Amino acid sequence: MSPSARLARLLYRWRLPLTALVLAGAVLCAGSANLNNINNDLSAWVAKDSPEYVEYERFRREFGGGRVLIIAVAGDGLFTPDGLRYLDRISRDIGRLPLIERVQSLATANVVRQLPPQDGDDGGIEVTPLVGDRMETAAGAAAVRRDALDDPLLRGDLVSADGRVTALVISTDEERIDAVRGAVIEQIRAIVDTARPGGLTTYFNGPLEISETYNRITLANQQDLTPPVLLITIVALYAMFRSVRKVALLVFAIGVSVVWTLGLYVLLGYEMNVLTSMLTPLVVVLAVADDVHIVQHFDREMREHGDRQRAFESTISHLVTPLFGASATTALGLLSLATSDVVAVHSFGVGAATGVMVDMMVSIVLVPTVLVWMRPDTHTPPQEAWLLEPLRRLGRWSFTHATPVLVVTALVLVAAVTGVLRLRVDTNHVNFFAPGHPLHESADLMDRELAGIYSFNVMLDGPPESIARPDVMARMDQLAEALRRQPQVRKVTSVVDYVKRTNQQLEGGADAAYALPQAPGGIAQELFVFGLSDEGRTELERVVASDYSRAHLTVKLASMSSDVVFEQIFEAERLARDAFAGSDVTPTVTGAGRIFATLDHYLVTSQVTSFGTAFVTVFAVIFLVFRSAKFGLLAIVANVVPVAAVLGLMGWIGISLNVATIMVASVALGVVDDDTIHFIGRFRRETAHGAAADVAVERAAMDEGRASLTTALVNSLSFGVLWFSEYKPTAWFGSLLAVTMAVAFLAEIFIVPAVIASFPRVYGAAARRDAPAA
Amino acid sequence: MGPREVPTSRSRRMCRLAPLVTLIAACGLVVTAAPWTQPSTAGPAEGTADWVAARIDTRDTGRDSRLAMTMRLVDRQGRARERTLVITTLAAAGVRGDRVLVRFLAPADIRGTGFLVWEHAQQEDERFLYLPALARVRRIAGAEAQESFVGSDLSYEDIGGRKLSDYTYRMLDAAATWTDAQGAAHPAWRIESAAKDGGARYPRVQSLVRKDAFVIVEAQVFNRRGDREKQYAVSRLERPDGIWTVMDATMANDATRTRTTLVVTEARYNTGLTEAAFSRRELEQGAR
Repeated sequence: MSPSARLARLLYRWRLPLTALVLAGAVLCAGSANLNNINNDLSAWVAKDSPEYVEYERFRREFGGGRVLIIAVAGDGLFTPDGLRYLDRISRDIGRLPLIERVQSLATANVVRQLPPQDGDDGGIEVTPLVGDRMETAAGAAAVRRDALDDPLLRGDLVSADGRVTALVISTDEERIDAVRGAVIEQIRAIVDTARPGGLTTYFNGPLEISETYNRITLANQQDLTPPVLLITIVALYAMFRSVRKVALLVFAIGVSVVWTLGLYVLLGYEMNVLTSMLTPLVVVLAVADDVHIVQHFDREMREHGDRQRAFESTISHLVTPLFGASATTALGLLSLATSDVVAVHSFGVGAATGVMVDMMVSIVLVPTVLVWMRPDTHTPPQEAWLLEPLRRLGRWSFTHATPVLVVTALVLVAAVTGVLRLRVDTNHVNFFAPGHPLHESADLMDRELAGIYSFNVMLDGPPESIARPDVMARMDQLAEALRRQPQVRKVTSVVDYVKRTNQQLEGGADAAYALPQAPGGIAQELFVFGLSDEGRTELERVVASDYSRAHLTVKLASMSSDVVFEQIFEAERLARDAFAGSDVTPTVTGAGRIFATLDHYLVTSQVTSFGTAFVTVFAVIFLVFRSAKFGLLAIVANVVPVAAVLGLMGWIGISLNVATIMVASVALGVVDDDTIHFIGRFRRETAHGAAADVAVERAAMDEGRASLTTALVNSLSFGVLWFSEYKPTAWFGSLLAVTMAVAFLAEIFIVPAVIASFPRVYGAAARRDAPAA
Repeated sequence: MGPREVPTSRSRRMCRLAPLVTLIAACGLVVTAAPWTQPSTAGPAEGTADWVAARIDTRDTGRDSRLAMTMRLVDRQGRARERTLVITTLAAAGVRGDRVLVRFLAPADIRGTGFLVWEHAQQEDERFLYLPALARVRRIAGAEAQESFVGSDLSYEDIGGRKLSDYTYRMLDAAATWTDAQGAAHPAWRIESAAKDGGARYPRVQSLVRKDAFVIVEAQVFNRRGDREKQYAVSRLERPDGIWTVMDATMANDATRTRTTLVVTEARYNTGLTEAAFSRRELEQGAR
């Protein structure tokens, strides 16, 4: 008795206790699966021990983080008493909310103004609120507009050049905000929406809003996409089997697999994020593939022999090896994502791989056990009546027309490789949303009218008091000017600007005086003056350490392609190194922009490493499953084509490699090999029992191709549902995998027979001599 | 800067009180009441919170004073910077309000920087700044009462005091005690001051007042959210020239996680300073 037959016998004997264990485990996992524990924050993407994250934390602890909420208020009535009173009220009310550390707005902004000479003195300066009580009159409001547009620190940052758009930049306690972020943003929305003057429109954006939107999408994906995936699966399965009992069994088995997967995912300590919202549809479609094979095999045995135990043991005996091989390769393909430095990709890989193996366990225990218990169907299911003969003919046609099939395959491969060369890496979080999406609209406005929503920082470290030295200030000034000349940079600010502004007002307001003071001690004394006021002190704390050992330049950018940001970061690093060469001050480029640019870099490397790992491990397992290099190579040919095709398609239609699509290749590799393993396994069994190669191909095409087509149809339709996600990467991921499944079926039904026919010595007679592994 | 409320009469000025930083007045940093001021016989009943507040406000803090001190500023990272300064004060007299001159001696880059405040009963206070780098006196304006005083965790209000009538007072504990650094317990009152102005940045303060000195030795300042934002603690209280003076105290800000410690190294009262010592000319020339 073969090992698989022994296992089948064992499973049959222990089927009831094992099924009870599977169900008990599902109940336990259901209790653990907390789908609301969602984390789409920075830590979901970047490992906390990565150098970039460590640098960002150091920066955040010193100067406060860059994960702000930006509210743009747009309209013609901004600089009217009503408009300014509105800004003042919402700034104050938001400032009173829990965990709000700072609200930067025109209403909280301070300006340095000259005081006219009085009683024969030289005049003076005034650090005063920009708005103050001037919001009470139209003339005052007009004066506020004038002052705001005249202030180089405000213009283009907090207020647009035409005075029609202003921003509120809200900083929070980043260590505690994530636990209550949604509620706080809702409170802010309520404040902003209350008594908003007519003609003013508000827009929300910034890293905090993006994180919250991701959380909302994660939940929406789970709640909105899972039901249609299930519905389509049910409809498609019913169309194929025309049996309520079988569909109910398959749906129940799929549900048990999903519950196990989500429960184990949480028990492994992972949090839900926008990527893991795809776990459920992924497990659903993989479960369908396994279960369809089992049901079809069991039905055939029952029809042929009418013995339930024999049907159970035959099904398991024949399918356990290909099922294990298919699941293991899929799991390894997914597990290869665990090598990614991107936390969300890593956790998705581990969670999905676990789910695949759990699904296999559920499939080989639960499904045949229930099938033994169920009353057998007497009718011939449509998938058998409709698909057998066409698939047989297709198999034969591919076998007899091997040359044109392989020529077309070669052409497809050439086109695919050309498309792969056109692939872009682009993690523009704004462009992940459709143009009409609120996040996209607000980003467009802020990019166009204000300083943009992206930023990075050049942090400077030196000995205490070094930053206030004239030579260091001059270097900072030079660096800021060099950065401003960069085409993508919208705004650069630093402590230098505060010194220049103070100096200008102390020196009488002339434009020429907007410069660093030359007198010994001038910089320190003007910083001292600026810090005399509370707001001045607060602003200084945001740009320079109190002992002048650290400072930073903030560089603001419009939302753009990540590779452009990445180039900008590199250029900023070069400029900073040049500016501080030979000094005792060390520049470091950090901040949210740096993190995301680095994330982009991680994506590229993770794509290479995870796909490379998947490639090696998947085919290693296939070789082990078949214990044959020849059939391993055959599987490679059949599987590389769909993966190359989908990557090429991405390149041709302009879908970038990003946080979601980066996984397509690895996942596809793991998914598409399942049917190939079944097909080749069947071919080998048939040839081992004496069938000629063409006959073996026909039988494999009929029986295994039928299951493949059934699962391809069900899975393509199910994955296609993801297309309706408002989050484009999710939509891309689903659609591309749907395409992958379809191409994988075509590769199996056309390419495998064609290759077998093209190498008869290898796959014909030779196959007979090989002991069938599956 | 928003309009700052000013007393409309001398008598009203007399009853100004910084519920929190009467502590500063109490420690003699600024004169908020003339030494000859006596508690009103028609005032609140003895032992009430109002009576305690009035006694703090009117206790003897000298006609003039000169305090040399070190101001230690500790930021949220725990880094400390020290400034050495001298604060000279002259109590209000007649129509003239209080005069305060702050002169920085260290660190070297701001040495000589001076800050002069002329308080006025009928109009907004005047403030002047002298920067050695510019070698000129500049008027400065725009500081709200509750804004930082020379970049410290103390506010102008902490220094200059508030109007007694702007607050209501409540006795929290008439039999409290305050334990000094040497471990000695002193009887104290714990009172709460609540701002009548609903828009006050710090609407509520709980203060511990040493009974034998009418000096605030501890205080907790609450913001509009009701969170404690600042804490004041005295660690050394002495009586040079017969006037109770806080010699060592710390103001910590929980929100910004910063703190300021003032250590008085020399305190002298009633030295005979005149108004001339608080002129713009003196602000400029005194730095040289």
